[in-house]
Amino acid sequence: MTARAIWKGLIHFGEYSIPVKLYTAVREQRIQFHLLHSSDQARLKQQMVCAYEHIPVPREEQVRGFEWEDGRYVIVNDDELKRFEPEDSRLIEVHEFVKAGDIDPLYFERVYYLGPDASQKEYDVLAAALSDTGMEGICTWTMRKRTYFGSLKVRGKAIRLITLRYTDEVVAATSLDLSPARLSEKELKAGSDLVGALAGPFRPETFENEHQKRLQEMIDKKAAGEKISIFRPKKKKTTAPDRLLETLEASLRKVG
Amino acid sequence: MAVHELWTGTVSFSLVAIPVQLVSAVAASRISFRMLHAKDYAPLSRRMLCPVEGKIVPLHEIVRGFEIAPDKYIVMTREELESVSPERSRAIEIIDFIDIGDVDPVYYGRPYFLVPAKGGEKAYSLLVEVMRETGRAGIAKFVFGEREYLVLLKPAGQALSLITLHYSDEIVPEEEILSEKTGRAWPRDTDEMIKVIESMRSAFKPERYANERKEKIAGLLGEKAKEQMVESPVTGEEVLEGPGDLVSVLQESVRKVEAAQ
Repeated sequence: MTARAIWKGLIHFGEYSIPVKLYTAVREQRIQFHLLHSSDQARLKQQMVCAYEHIPVPREEQVRGFEWEDGRYVIVNDDELKRFEPEDSRLIEVHEFVKAGDIDPLYFERVYYLGPDASQKEYDVLAAALSDTGMEGICTWTMRKRTYFGSLKVRGKAIRLITLRYTDEVVAATSLDLSPARLSEKELKAGSDLVGALAGPFRPETFENEHQKRLQEMIDKKAAGEKISIFRPKKKKTTAPDRLLETLEASLRKVG
Repeated sequence: MAVHELWTGTVSFSLVAIPVQLVSAVAASRISFRMLHAKDYAPLSRRMLCPVEGKIVPLHEIVRGFEIAPDKYIVMTREELESVSPERSRAIEIIDFIDIGDVDPVYYGRPYFLVPAKGGEKAYSLLVEVMRETGRAGIAKFVFGEREYLVLLKPAGQALSLITLHYSDEIVPEEEILSEKTGRAWPRDTDEMIKVIESMRSAFKPERYANERKEKIAGLLGEKAKEQMVESPVTGEEVLEGPGDLVSVLQESVRKVEAAQ
């Protein structure tokens, strides 16, 4: 137990009120680049520039506008927007429970862990009840001036709180206007067999960010004054529609 | 619907390679504002300023640098960055077909769709169809925007969705937040809670939950647009930062708000 909680809340449904702490579940480690001026390698700063006068505009001379129609704006100030900030609350209100897996992962935005706060027992009971029923709780809460919509689910020992996107933020697959191509029984059979032959368990620990490692090596090389070899991105030759079956069968021979 | 492609390349499994384009599965539905110059309402553009010379730097004079010591940088060119993983920057190669239930949601990153490019429609349909039939999802790696992603490919209707996954070393181990006492069984209390959960059972209907703050802002903008609109000078320059279809999105939500009243 070394992680530090970032927020505290109370899960509420029925007569229950379960105190929990919220923790970050993901720590991303990435190589960061800075933008520099090529001539003097000075680190660049962001600056808002007037598109009409081409001069830098300081913060106090900026206003926020919504472009209602081409070139016409509605001006909104900070106080007006503040009025709509939700009131702070500690409540994670569960509205309903749905079957785990019913939520399309396209809705998932960010995942947090919930840990027990004042009562270990109540936390254990909730985790066991979610696990036994195979359900997840759909909830809403307000955290740092923002209202969230999310899902409460258990996996392993820890309860997860997943923030969900609102429906209008998720692109529907149907909007892509894709129609299924005609496929023969043979093609489908060969395709299924191939997927079966390539089936395996998900073992996330076997994957590492090799690109990041190689990038770090390249930076080190360059820092030591070595020359970097240049490679062009490779394009794969794509499978022609009339050679699909043949390619599937060749793949099967290769993996089998 | 107009889709904006973010990347083009191939998705492959064994010897089959399908030409595809990557598009976002997240719609720009948030109300987005433009910063304007207070005195003449001209739109502002985000530019990069050189603090040493005190001038705005054009795009072709901007380079990327990795800081090896305070204020000491190693400059990396675009060609060098592209050379890090040339084999993965145009190809998404499925390594394994897994059971999607095996993926802990804690791994999920950002969702996209892959759409077939010309000539790839048939193999694309086949991949979607056999994944649905076998209940399997593909695991692949590819490089996009100078980062390497572990990704999950799964069917979504007739489409193939791509969801980025975190690497396992980026996931905080649960032991860091739970004590050893966690997980004791309390059968009587658990049974009681299960009854309550069952009584609150429902189907997942995300449309029941709306972004109320957004609706309120849309309402305010609708009111203000009736009386106070400002005009910006013609700049003759392409300055837009965000997608151009936000007005229709907003007008739609204004209509919804009005209908609800």
